[in-house]
Amino acid sequence: MRLRLQLGLLVAAAASLPFAAMAEDTIKIGFPIPLSGPTAVYGTPILKGAEMAVAEINAKGGVLGRKLELLTRDSKANADEAVRLSRELIIKDNVDFLAGTLTSAEAPAVSTVAKENKIVFLAPSSKSTILTDAQHIHPYIFRVASNTDVEGLAGATEMAQFKDVKTVVTIAPDYAYGRDSIAAFIKALKTLRPDIQVVDSQWPKLGEPDFTPFINAMSSKTPDAVYCSLFAGDFVTFVKQATPLGLFKAINNRLIDGGEVGTPDEAQALGADYPYGIIANSYDPVIWSGGNEPPEHQKFIADLKAFTKAQYASGWSIMGYEMIYALAEGVKKAGNTKSDDVSKALAGMSFDTPVGKRSFSAQSHETFAPEYWGVMAKDANYPFAIIKNPQPLPTSFPTN
Amino acid sequence: MAPSFLFGQFMGGLTTAMFLFLIASGLSLVFGIMRVINFAHGSFYMIGAYLAWQIVHWVHPGGVGFWVAAIGAASGVALMGAVIERLFFRSLYGREELYQLLFTYALVLILGDAAKFLWGTQQLSVSTPAVLAGSVQIFGSTQPLYNLFIMAIGPAIAFGGWLVLNRSGVGRMVRAAQMDREMLDSLGANVGTIYTGMFVFSSFLAGLSGALVTPIQSIVPGMDVLIIVQAFIVVVIGGMGSFWGTFWGSVIYGEVLSFGILIFPGFSLFSVFALMAVILIVRPWGLFGRPL
Repeated sequence: MRLRLQLGLLVAAAASLPFAAMAEDTIKIGFPIPLSGPTAVYGTPILKGAEMAVAEINAKGGVLGRKLELLTRDSKANADEAVRLSRELIIKDNVDFLAGTLTSAEAPAVSTVAKENKIVFLAPSSKSTILTDAQHIHPYIFRVASNTDVEGLAGATEMAQFKDVKTVVTIAPDYAYGRDSIAAFIKALKTLRPDIQVVDSQWPKLGEPDFTPFINAMSSKTPDAVYCSLFAGDFVTFVKQATPLGLFKAINNRLIDGGEVGTPDEAQALGADYPYGIIANSYDPVIWSGGNEPPEHQKFIADLKAFTKAQYASGWSIMGYEMIYALAEGVKKAGNTKSDDVSKALAGMSFDTPVGKRSFSAQSHETFAPEYWGVMAKDANYPFAIIKNPQPLPTSFPTN
Repeated sequence: MAPSFLFGQFMGGLTTAMFLFLIASGLSLVFGIMRVINFAHGSFYMIGAYLAWQIVHWVHPGGVGFWVAAIGAASGVALMGAVIERLFFRSLYGREELYQLLFTYALVLILGDAAKFLWGTQQLSVSTPAVLAGSVQIFGSTQPLYNLFIMAIGPAIAFGGWLVLNRSGVGRMVRAAQMDREMLDSLGANVGTIYTGMFVFSSFLAGLSGALVTPIQSIVPGMDVLIIVQAFIVVVIGGMGSFWGTFWGSVIYGEVLSFGILIFPGFSLFSVFALMAVILIVRPWGLFGRPL
């Protein structure tokens, strides 16, 4: 009898070993993001930020005793490709969560996949309001990025400070982000400064190689200021063409851009050709002139520079970094990796970032993240433009 | 609408046109005349831009370095074209177009990844050479000197190309090869060398246009794909086989875009396709083309 008991215990112990081994399995995070094509300029640094967060968390023992594992795929900024990759990650690779995508075309598409498969999905950069509006919200989508309404309010706040501006023209790429951001800007500007008139709107296509006809059309209206949503390569091309046409001189550098052209990435691309004096923004100013830099941010940038082996850190990596930490917080709070529990944990949850606390709205799963805005200025210590005295805007946002 | 504004818009259209013609000219040669589908033409353009940036980076930014870089980049791409033509393209002439399309599409992917591997995903920029950095006032509108330079180069290339094609012995051979390749071969002409030469020259034009475009455009991964469709369309509406056709096709496209956006703000997205549709309905062989 005793022998049987001992034998039975031995068998039970042996049988439980595989389960113990499974508990050592990694928490898999599927990560489709553009790594080629014109949008890779953002996709790559966001990936680096995420990788650094994963490395840091794993070095401290992981989450719930399990290490995080990032399964990265190149979505090529194509919504169909992102959807295909997401399905593959879920079915073939058995990921626990989805994260990533860059553009406002990919994110809503992958959000649908997340909803069908009931798997939590965090988006680090898509700003389109369609992602979390009343028709598209579901329990599993969470946005770490800002959105076009927040950006529009911040841009309008900056424009409102120019007391002598009476006429404004806008220029933005003709697709969802461009259209939404301009609409949000105009709406916010009407409430802050009803006396300012938007006299023209130009809509070059994304990737437009020649902005000259658009710049001429804008200049003919002799505006006092310009609101611009061009970003990345388009902004570089626009500046290189607008400068010899005299646009920046004509408006006294009163150009405000909400497309994160205040990042060191963008400033380095233009170098000495950067239009100093314009107002731009960034999720992370990286180089924090004017004091008030949070000590956590200092450490974050030092670590990031070491991790990417770059002389200057990217202003985009923080979004990938925040996204992973937010997810890790949610898993910790839920106590397990079941998406239903994690989604309940994330809704309404606060998490720390190197630039302050953020929290997911319980209803819309947005963070309404402010960005850092300021005048782009020369600095003797750097061969490129930096944000002078970066300020988080908007200071408050009416949340639902 | 002030006349100076209309003039400015007209010149803006010409700027667009000539930048497009720079790259479309090489394509006109290869696609229009040799009837070879080189989808990688945009990739040659992109490599030309990256090479120009690299050479400027090594040599001396801003000064003479830019012109050295432009010629160096064009030559580099021409060399690349020569190697590709001799090793791979030769066996694809006269075969079904589908093979050429597949092969050059593969080239697009390979060259795109090579560029990403060598230069990363960051956007890059080259400053305008100092001698062309300013602008002048013409009829009350500001014209950047660099744009005027490009507007001069465009017609120069078109005229030069037409001259070679229609008034030289080499050009006569090329036109003969287009009409009946086998006959020309049996007459003893070295068709292989002719085709290689044309392909190399087309690659040189692509590399040169990529380099010349860098002062006023950003160098980004994906610039190869962004430009190639527009270039193909302009060659088709101008009429295959005609250099001047491509030239005027570009001019029409530039002006239609420039004035179209005044009437219809969202026009930029589909302007080139609308133009192609209209012209091909009215004149299916293109403006200067010959009915088949």
